[in-house]
Amino acid sequence: MWNKREDEPIRPAAAPFPAAPPAATGERREPAVIGSSISIVGDVTGAEDLTILGKVEGKIALPKHGVTVGQSGRVTADIQAKVVSVAGEVRGNLAASEQIIIRKTATMLGNLTAPRVGLEDGCCFRGSVEMESQEKAAMASTAGSFDAPGVKAKPDTSLAATASTAGSFDAPGVKAKPDTSLARP
Amino acid sequence: MDSLRPESRNTVLDLGPPLAGNIKFLSALSCRVRIADLHRSLCAESVENRQPEAMGALFERLLPLAPDERFDALLAWDVFDYMRPDQVSSLMARLTPVCSPEALVLVFASTRVRIPAAPLRYRILDRQSLAGDGPLQPERASPRHGQPDLRRMMPGFSVRHSVLLRSGIQEYLFARGAREEGAKARAAGALTGASPRHSWFRRR
Repeated sequence: MWNKREDEPIRPAAAPFPAAPPAATGERREPAVIGSSISIVGDVTGAEDLTILGKVEGKIALPKHGVTVGQSGRVTADIQAKVVSVAGEVRGNLAASEQIIIRKTATMLGNLTAPRVGLEDGCCFRGSVEMESQEKAAMASTAGSFDAPGVKAKPDTSLAATASTAGSFDAPGVKAKPDTSLARP
Repeated sequence: MDSLRPESRNTVLDLGPPLAGNIKFLSALSCRVRIADLHRSLCAESVENRQPEAMGALFERLLPLAPDERFDALLAWDVFDYMRPDQVSSLMARLTPVCSPEALVLVFASTRVRIPAAPLRYRILDRQSLAGDGPLQPERASPRHGQPDLRRMMPGFSVRHSVLLRSGIQEYLFARGAREEGAKARAAGALTGASPRHSWFRRR
């Protein structure tokens, strides 16, 4: 009986109940994962936690959720989230309404704005740190703007050259949109 | 630390490595902290990039500055002991224009013949004390920057405090424009705004 399960092919779970967004039920879902072989150019938005193990260029905005950049993750983007944890490489500004954690394996070039910032010894970090009040950070976060003091978002037109793969990622709750304003014909 | 007024928003440039405790301490003083981790950045550069003629471009790349960027204090720690004089001069040429008129620079210069292989990591414990971590074994020759050397490398700044510590480290607090202010004060017959230690040195 127990061995039988091993032989069963893996198939999408036929959910007995329709899946509901976590915000509505309080249910904790596994974070969406951008795998190590995935590259995204464009904006990533969504309503669930996200783990990045691959490459992302553009902008990541999950104001009410957590973003984790794994050790193999390579991100060239501004990240706006509730909690941001970096163990890989990030070039861009981070704004979190709760906390930013830079792990010892991280290479982080950019500015950090959050009420709490944790830097592990040994991490590679160049940039500024602004630990502002939670309310102020939340305002900056919900406004969808990176114009908090010391954090300025500028469209990186250099991304346009590699925009051909834009929009190749589309997981439930997390969507990558091609940033057509940057795309070259 | 007393010069960093909590009621005003100060920006501190830390040339050392990122240390969570220091950032937390300075943030509690309403400071915005910028981390340069200069020694690590310089070591990661190629020999060509570190040539004297390339220093200007190198620091522009390592220390990109926003148009409205202003620094009220620079924490150089002992990083200058691990840089050539031309590197320090290039660095200060880049930073001096973006320092506020009364900006302060904290510099530790070893008076010993040999120093550890890499800069120490200075942790701010409280307003009065620091702890230095790192390999303490002397492994390389010290440049032994004296006060005249540092003043040459940092035009526009002059020494406000100078203390020789038991460890052989000379601690300097440079202030931008302090020399001019001091000269004016002396001309007026009074040493205003200078600390007792500063004025004591002047009287000597």
